[in-house]
Amino acid sequence: MAWLVGVDVGGTFTDFYAFDDASGQVVLHKTPSTPDNPARAILAGLQEMGKAHQLDIGALARLAHGTTVATNALIQRRGGRVVLITTAGFRDLLEIGRQVRPLMYDIQTDFPAPLIPREFRYEVNERVRADGTVLKPLDGDEVKRLAAMVRAVKADSCAVCLIFSFLNPAHEQAIARALADAAPDTYISLSAEVQPEFREYERLSTTVLNAYLQPVMVRYMRELESGLRAVAPKAALGINQSSGGLMSAERARRFPIRTALSGPAAGAVGAIHTAELSSRPNVITLDMGGTSADVCLMRNYQAGVGYDRFIDGFPVRLPSLDINAVGAGGGSIAWFDRDGLLKVGPTSAGAVPGPACYGAGGEAATVTDANLILGRLSTGGLLGGRMTLDVAAARRAVAPIAQRLGFAVERTAHGMLGIVVSNMVRAIRGISVERGHDPRRFSLMPFGGAGPLHATEVARSLGIREVVVPFAPGILCAQGLIVSDLKETFVRTALTRLDAAAAAVIGANLAEIAGAAADWFKSERVADGDRHTQASLDMRYVGQNFELPVPLQPEEVAAPNLDALKRRFFAVHETSYGYHNPHDPVEIVNFRMTALGRLKRPEPPRAAGATAKPAPVSNRPVYFDADTAVSAAIYDRRALAPGHQVSGPAVIEQLDATTLVYPGDKLVVDDALNLILEVTT
Amino acid sequence: MTTAPLTIDPITLEILHNGLRSITDECFIALMKSAYSTNIKERRDHSATIMDRNGQLIVQAEHSLPIHIGSMLGLMHAVLKKYGREGVRPGDIFVANDPYVAGGSHLPDVNLGMPVFVAGELVAFICNIAHHADIGGMAPGSMAGGMTEIFQEGLRIPPVKLFREGELQQDILDLLLLNVRVPEERRGDYFAQIAACKLGERRLKELIATHSAPVITTAFEEIVTRTESRMRAAVATIPDGVYRFEDVMDDDGLGAKDILIKVAVEVKGDRINFDFRGSAPQVQGNINVTTSATQAAVCYTLKALLDPQVPNNEGILRVAQFTTEPGTLLDASFPAACAARAHTCQRIIDVIIGALAPALPDKVVGAANGANTTAVFFGRDPRTGRDFLYLETMGGGFGGRATKDGKDGVQVHITNTSNLPVEAIEMEYPLLVDSYGLIPDTGGAGKNRGGLALRRVVKPVGLDCQFNGAGERFRNQPWGVFGGKPGATGRFFIQSDNGDVTKLSNKPDTTRLRTDQSLVVETPGAGGYGPPAERSRAALEEDFRSGKFSAEFLRTHYGFEPGRLAGGSGEGE
Repeated sequence: MAWLVGVDVGGTFTDFYAFDDASGQVVLHKTPSTPDNPARAILAGLQEMGKAHQLDIGALARLAHGTTVATNALIQRRGGRVVLITTAGFRDLLEIGRQVRPLMYDIQTDFPAPLIPREFRYEVNERVRADGTVLKPLDGDEVKRLAAMVRAVKADSCAVCLIFSFLNPAHEQAIARALADAAPDTYISLSAEVQPEFREYERLSTTVLNAYLQPVMVRYMRELESGLRAVAPKAALGINQSSGGLMSAERARRFPIRTALSGPAAGAVGAIHTAELSSRPNVITLDMGGTSADVCLMRNYQAGVGYDRFIDGFPVRLPSLDINAVGAGGGSIAWFDRDGLLKVGPTSAGAVPGPACYGAGGEAATVTDANLILGRLSTGGLLGGRMTLDVAAARRAVAPIAQRLGFAVERTAHGMLGIVVSNMVRAIRGISVERGHDPRRFSLMPFGGAGPLHATEVARSLGIREVVVPFAPGILCAQGLIVSDLKETFVRTALTRLDAAAAAVIGANLAEIAGAAADWFKSERVADGDRHTQASLDMRYVGQNFELPVPLQPEEVAAPNLDALKRRFFAVHETSYGYHNPHDPVEIVNFRMTALGRLKRPEPPRAAGATAKPAPVSNRPVYFDADTAVSAAIYDRRALAPGHQVSGPAVIEQLDATTLVYPGDKLVVDDALNLILEVTT
Repeated sequence: MTTAPLTIDPITLEILHNGLRSITDECFIALMKSAYSTNIKERRDHSATIMDRNGQLIVQAEHSLPIHIGSMLGLMHAVLKKYGREGVRPGDIFVANDPYVAGGSHLPDVNLGMPVFVAGELVAFICNIAHHADIGGMAPGSMAGGMTEIFQEGLRIPPVKLFREGELQQDILDLLLLNVRVPEERRGDYFAQIAACKLGERRLKELIATHSAPVITTAFEEIVTRTESRMRAAVATIPDGVYRFEDVMDDDGLGAKDILIKVAVEVKGDRINFDFRGSAPQVQGNINVTTSATQAAVCYTLKALLDPQVPNNEGILRVAQFTTEPGTLLDASFPAACAARAHTCQRIIDVIIGALAPALPDKVVGAANGANTTAVFFGRDPRTGRDFLYLETMGGGFGGRATKDGKDGVQVHITNTSNLPVEAIEMEYPLLVDSYGLIPDTGGAGKNRGGLALRRVVKPVGLDCQFNGAGERFRNQPWGVFGGKPGATGRFFIQSDNGDVTKLSNKPDTTRLRTDQSLVVETPGAGGYGPPAERSRAALEEDFRSGKFSAEFLRTHYGFEPGRLAGGSGEGE
C-alpha cells in the first residue's frame, strides 16, 4: 500500500488529494491555511486526514507540494538582504530595465523599485564578448576585495550577473568560489545557473529575485522537511515548479524563483490529466477562484510554455505554463466607472470580509452575491453546508446598483455575471484567437470553486460546444500535483544560422545539454526506464526578435534533418503569425531540453456504472436569464455515476463547486466521473 | 431596420465595448506579429482602430502609441471627402500617409482603412497605422534630418483605393513598392496591414451578427458621448481661467534656434481650448508638426493629467479643442518637412503641463527629458560582409511629481519604446556597448527631484562605422515646477581611446566613428518638483548613499553636508 499525496496551499485553505495506488482509494481533505508558517497546516492536515480516513501517514510514499511561500515573500517584500555583482558599466541596468513605463498614460505609476539599492550593486572589471571569448579578464585581487565587501555588509544573498555569462560562465564561477571562501554563509545565485539565456536585463532580474527568495525558501524547506521526517519518514518531497513539474527540495532551495508561478501550473497539470482520462486532447481551461481566473490552452494534451512573465511587476524569464490571468473571481466587486458603465473586478472582497452574503462584514456586491440572488448557488452554501449564505445581505449589496440602473435586483445580478463572463472571454481570446487557435475546436474545462458556475456562458460566447467539469473541480490543483513528473529544463543560447554547417553545431549543443540532463537524472536517482527528454529549438527569421519553439523528433537529436526542421519552423510561423516566407534565412537562438523523470501515476478513480436514473435531491427556482426564474432540479454530485444523464434546467452541487445545466442543455457523466455538458449555441 | 430610437443599458454597453476592444486588440497583435518592420514588431509603433461610418474614432487598441490617436481621423475625413459615402464600396481598402492631404503626421506612418458593410449599408471602418522602416526619400529609414521639404522625406500617398471591391490594385501596389527601399519587406508590411483590416472586418461582422447593426451603431455613439461627458466632468474640476506658458525647441538642425512654442489654455466650466497662436512659424528642418500630431499631443496630456484610464475615442477629441495658425511649427503647411515631429510633440506636452501647473498642482510634473533622443549606427559588418543599420531611441529623466521623485532613465510621454538588450546588439551588430547607466547629478533639485539622464557608450568592433543622431533639450534645460530646479541637458560626443573628446552638434549629420573611438550619448535629465529646501533629510541621504548625486551637488543645491555613511559603495563607486 503506497499513499501519494498532493497538497496545494491556498490563501484560505490547504487542499489535500490523497491516492492509494494499491486500492485505488481517493481521499479529499481541506484544512484552514496557516499563512505565517504554511508547513503547520500541511503537517496538521496530514495527521487529521490520517485519523479521519484511517490512513497510515507513516507509510506515505510521496508528498507533492505546491507552495506560494516565495510568491508571498516577494509580494510582501520579506525576502533577504541581497547584493549584486555585475559587469562594470551596468549596475544601473536593474533599475533602467527596458527604459519603459508600465502604463502609457499614467505618469504617476512606475515599475517597482529594485530589490537591491544602488549602493549594494557592485561592479567588477571584466568583459566577455558576443562570441564567448574574454575581452577583459577578471582580476583576482579585485574579486577578493568584492567578496570581503559582501561579507562586511552581512548580505544574506549575493546575485552575480555578468554580460554574456550564458556563453562563458567562467567569470561568474570564479566569483562564486571567492564568495564561498570569504562569505560561506551567503547564498549565491549565478545568472548562468538560474537561467543561462541571452537578454541581460531579464536574466539579471530573474537572478536577483532568486537571490532575494533563497533565504525564505531555505527556512521553509527546513521546517517542512524536519516536520515531515517526524510524521512521514518515507515520503519523498517534490516541490511544484511554474513549468508544471516537480523538483527536489534541494533544487527548490537553490532555485526558489521557479516556484513563483507554480500555483496555476498545478491546476493546468491536473486539467491535462483529466483531459487524458476523458480523451479530450484539445482543451481550454478556466480556473476561477475567489479573486481571479486563470485560463490556459492545451493542444494534444500539452499546455504551451511561455518564458517572459512578470511577478509583482518584476520580469522573470523562466519556463512557465502559458497561463493568462484576469481579475474575475467569486469575490470580484461590481462598481460604476466614471463614464457610468458597470464594471466587475479586478478588485475583490477576498476571503475577508468576503462577499456580502458571507455575513462577515462585506458590503460590496460581488459575483458570489449575484449567483446567490439568482438561485444558482444554494443558500446552504459552499463546503458541504459548513457555511450558510445570506440572500438578504446579497440583495442589500446589489440593490444600490439596481436602483442606479433602474433594473430589478435579479436583472442587475444577471448583468454583473454577463460582465464577468465577458472579461473571461476576453482573456481566453488572448490565448486562443490572438495566437492563431480557433476556440470552437476546443472543449472548455472549468475548475476552481467558481469555474463551473460560469462555464456555459463563457463557452457560448466563444462558440465552444462542450464543457468538461472534472471530478473534483475545487481541488484540481492538489490532484494535479500527484500526477506531476519530476522536471528540469536545460537551455543553451548559440546564434546559429540554418545552413550547411548548422547540423554539426546543433549536434554539439544538444549533446552538451543532453549530458547535463543525464547528470540531473543521476543526481535525482531517476531509473533508466523513467527517463524522458524532449529537445526543442527556439528559431526565428534572421533579423526578427521573436523566437518560436520548434520541437525536435527524438531521432533528430543526434542527426538533425535541416530541411524537415525548416519546414516545421515554417508551420509554427504560419500558425502564430499567419504567414511564412520559404526563402528568408532562418536561425536558431536557443537549444532547449526538457527532462522528465516519470513518477508513478495514479489510476483514474474507479466507479460503478449507472444503475437507476439519478434522482434530484430537491428543486428550486433559478434565474438562467435576466427576468424569469425556472424550477431547476438540484442533484448531489456524489449520486451521479458513469452513464447518468441530466437535462437542464438543473444544478449539480458538490463539496467544492456548483455546476449549472441550462435549459435545453444536456449533461452526461463519463467513465472518469467528469461531467460532460453539451452546450447548445 | 428599426426606426425607433434605440437605447442601450450600461451592462450591454460594457459587454459590447469589451467585444469591440477584443477586435482592435486582435488586429493590433496580428499586425505586430506578421509585419516585417522592426518599428512595428519590436517598438509597437502601430495602432488599430474601429471608426464609425462618419469617420469618428470609436475604439483604439489598448497598446497603441499616443501619437496615433488623431492620425486615422484625417484619413477618414479625406476618404469621405474625396469619395463620398456612395463612393465607398464593400471590399475597398484605402491607403494614405500624407500629412497635408490625408491627415498623416509623418510619411513612414502608413494608414489603411476598410469599410464594413452589413446588408448593403456602411456601418463602420476598420483601420490601422503602421510605421514602415522606410518610405523612400533621400535617406534610408526616411527619418534623417537635414531635409527641408516633404518631397525629400519620402513617397507621398493621397487617399487611394489599394483594394477596389475586393480586388487588389496591383498597379498601385507596384507604384508604392517601387518608391521604397527593400520593397520585398515593405510588401510584407502592407500585407500585414491588409490582413489586419480583413480580420477586423470579419470580426466586426461576427459581432454585428449577434447584436444587429442598429445596436452596434447606437453603442458607437453611446461610447463616444459617455467618454465625452466623463472627460468634460474631469475638465470641470480645473478652475476656470486662462493659463499660459511657453518654451522653446533647441533647434531644427538647419540653423533655426530657440523655436518658440506657446500656449494659452482657456478653461471655462467643462470646456477647454488650447490656443497655440503666437508659436513660431514653421521651420526648414524636419521638426514641424501637422495638426493631427498636435492633436495627439494635446489628447495625451489631457488624458495623462485628468484621467489616464479613459478609453481612447472621439469623445476625448471632442473635448480637447485647440487653435493653431497655419504655417506655424504646430500647424505646418505644405511642403514643410515633419519626419521628426515626435521631438516637438514632447515639447507641446511640456508646455501644456507648464501652463496647467497652477491649476492642477497635484497632477503636473517637472519637465521631462523632452526628447526622442535618436542614435543611428550603420556600415558593413566585417563578420558577414552585409550592411547593417541600427537605430535606437533613448529615454532620460522623468519630471519630479507631487508625491514622489521623477523616474530615472525612462521613456517619457508621447513615446514608450523599449531598448534593445546589450547582448542582442552585440550578437547582431559589430558594436560593443561599453556602458549603459544613469548619469549622476542630472536630475533637477527639488522637494521631489527630477529623474536622472542615461548615458550609453558604443564602440564599433572591427570597422569604422557611421553615426548620425538627433537630440533635444541639449541646450534648453528641462525646467522644474513650483520652485523645483531644472535638470541637465543632453549631448553627443566622440571619445577616443587616447582621451580626445570631439563634441558633436545636437542633430549630428553622418559622422565617421573609428575603431579607436566610442560614441557617447548623454540624454537630458528632468526638472524637480517643489523647492529644494523642502526635500527631506532621508531623501538627501539616500541621494548621496546611492551615488546618484555628488556631495558637491547636494551642497550647492540643498546646502546639505552628507556625513560619513556606513555600508554601500557610495559616491564615486
